[in-house]
Amino acid sequence: MKSFVMGIDFGSTTAKTVILDLKGRVVASNVSHMGAVSGDGLKASIAGALEEAGLSQADVGRVVSTGYGRRMIDVADKNFTEITCHARGAVAMTPDARLVIDIGGQDSKVIAVDSNGLVAQFAMNDRCAAGTGKFLEVLARAMEIKLEDMGAIALQAEETLKISSMCATFAETEVISLLAEGKTKPNVLGAVHAAIASRTLGLIGRVGKKGPVVMTGGVAKNPAAVHHIQLALGMPVILPKDPQTAGALGAALLALDDYRAEHKKELALAEDDDVDQLMGVARNCAPGCKGVADAVAKLAPTVEAPPPSKANSLWKRVQSHI
Amino acid sequence: MNVAVAKPNRANKLKSTRIAGGLVNDYWNMVWRAKAEGKLICWYEGSAINPFLQAADICWVHGEAYSAMLAARHQEGPAQQAAEDRGYMKELCSYARTHLGCAISNQRNRNDTDTGVSNAPDDSDLASKLPPPDMIISAYAYCSTGQQWDEMTSRVFGKKIPIFNVSIPWIWGSKKDARYLHGREWEESSKYVARQLMDMVKFIEERTGKPYPWDRLREMMGQVKRASELRLEAMDMCTARPAPASFFDWVVSIAPINNLPVGPEIVSYFQTVRDEVAARVGAGEGAVPKEKYRLFFDGIMNWNKVGWLAEKFAAYDAAVVVGRYTHMAFWQEPDLIKASDPVLGMAQNYLICPNNHSAPILIDLIMDLCRKYEVDGMVIHASRTCRAFTNPQFLIADAATKRLGIQTSMFEGDVTDESFYKDELLNSRVEAMLESIDARRMVAA
Repeated sequence: MKSFVMGIDFGSTTAKTVILDLKGRVVASNVSHMGAVSGDGLKASIAGALEEAGLSQADVGRVVSTGYGRRMIDVADKNFTEITCHARGAVAMTPDARLVIDIGGQDSKVIAVDSNGLVAQFAMNDRCAAGTGKFLEVLARAMEIKLEDMGAIALQAEETLKISSMCATFAETEVISLLAEGKTKPNVLGAVHAAIASRTLGLIGRVGKKGPVVMTGGVAKNPAAVHHIQLALGMPVILPKDPQTAGALGAALLALDDYRAEHKKELALAEDDDVDQLMGVARNCAPGCKGVADAVAKLAPTVEAPPPSKANSLWKRVQSHI
Repeated sequence: MNVAVAKPNRANKLKSTRIAGGLVNDYWNMVWRAKAEGKLICWYEGSAINPFLQAADICWVHGEAYSAMLAARHQEGPAQQAAEDRGYMKELCSYARTHLGCAISNQRNRNDTDTGVSNAPDDSDLASKLPPPDMIISAYAYCSTGQQWDEMTSRVFGKKIPIFNVSIPWIWGSKKDARYLHGREWEESSKYVARQLMDMVKFIEERTGKPYPWDRLREMMGQVKRASELRLEAMDMCTARPAPASFFDWVVSIAPINNLPVGPEIVSYFQTVRDEVAARVGAGEGAVPKEKYRLFFDGIMNWNKVGWLAEKFAAYDAAVVVGRYTHMAFWQEPDLIKASDPVLGMAQNYLICPNNHSAPILIDLIMDLCRKYEVDGMVIHASRTCRAFTNPQFLIADAATKRLGIQTSMFEGDVTDESFYKDELLNSRVEAMLESIDARRMVAA
């Protein structure tokens, strides 16, 4: 039995990798920027995470992938959609969350999760890239500013302008027109971020507004986007420490579930202290995650073989946990 | 769910529906010959008024059906290009755009008028083969584009084509006594449409110069009624697990009930389909080899993607067992038709086009179907250029979640313009929905 599992989020503009130990602790994570679904970016992300953990691929027992390129990854044993993985990762990062807003490079999605941490309903942007990271990239280029500076500049806005177009290309035209009229970059950028918030609010309307709200994805690192979404929502938005890795974390947690289910006998024979800790993880999936834990716990009674006789007392303790 | 399946399961389509392909080919060949045979030709959209025309020996061309046929054969491009060249924008209903492109192509080749079209297709193209109309009848429920489409068609032909309009009112369903097929509004609307159909018959008599052959219409409507009963009986059998036929089998069977020549052939067709479905139920044979999920499909078909989508859902082990488009349309209330006096029942079937109900009635009907067929989820096709069908879809999705507790998934596409469809969007949304269903099943286990 191996001691680690891996989750990979092969997105449209970045590749993210998270490695967990079998207790659900994050031992390494990596975010690599790249071109569109780039194999080099993927390799860099996996290599970066393995290096940080001091591991090789052979030390990893299960790999689950997600993201646009999820089917292209040779090392992945299984793949799941971004919806499932982001919901799982976001709830693990913020256990009380009931609404997940994820704005990535190519799409934006809103996921309502129930008290078990399961996907209750979701909505994604249509084919249009408006309101996504790509939308911001296009506009950053048009305005000749760095993507990472956009949020801070937008927060300096003093005038309320309006970007009405739903199309990234036409929005670029609108932005250029506003600049040509002499509007300042902060004011134009304020309007751009308000437009993103408006689009996001439309998606939220489709799944139902509820809280607490957590925001993941690369755009969560943009303070103006978060500010305007909070304004539009009328409620605070919780930001995890590392919002870009939520999908990879969710994938890693699914890999952990899968690997632990496959090796439940070995895990049940582990030392008492370890079992205590393991069951603590199983109840919570990952530190602090309550909801998905119930799903894992309810699966446990489907174990067909009785526990080994010498571990009967231990098994009772395990059952008391679940 | 691991979707990286090495050999995905294939759709187990009904064998009997292959007969429909031959019937469809025969019908279009008849249409293409009609002008040479000296027949009057009527173009119409929307409601299935074809029995009125067929009875009077008028060749009928259903605009959506012609556009759908081109799309299904992947030959819609030249017609759509011709329409766009003429100035009909991409956001216009793609049924209308494709059909107007056929009209423009036909006119260009005939050199009857200066349409200003460039790069129009040649005679060998199916778009330009569509014979021009001698009359147009507009009888469209719910769709405001329909009447404008007919007006535009008339303009393409130099405003020389007579048009008859049948107004089919929206069913508001807002009065206290209003229910499906019930209430004062329903009774009044039924009679209102029936009166107009009688006027339409006078219009037909004026065009043919002959008394209307009512006996022939009565005989044909008896055949429509029987074909519809057999179709519905076969559909009902798909409540079985596994479902013996899928939404896509019923899509393939739309033409025989909706616009192919009425006669013993369509009764025989649906009898054969019904018998195959019954045999499958007996044998426990499913439309999807390993039925794991049962889905409702809301939305019009992507006609360029019928086979593609059937295989896609089968690969997910998802049986699309029921849909608004197939199960709530196309002579779906045969009991309303009295073969001896069919006009009122025909009017009523035109009125209950699935988009012509107010949302509460529409949603109740859909929820009933979801319960009846025990679906696990709903996949919603938001047709980019048919907002009439798309308008209530957020409400339908909301009702499915709140009333039935089932997951929904929406993707954008179109009826005949495949440029609005993006495969990855559908894949992500459907896979996410199925993963969610899996997770809930695990919790419930």
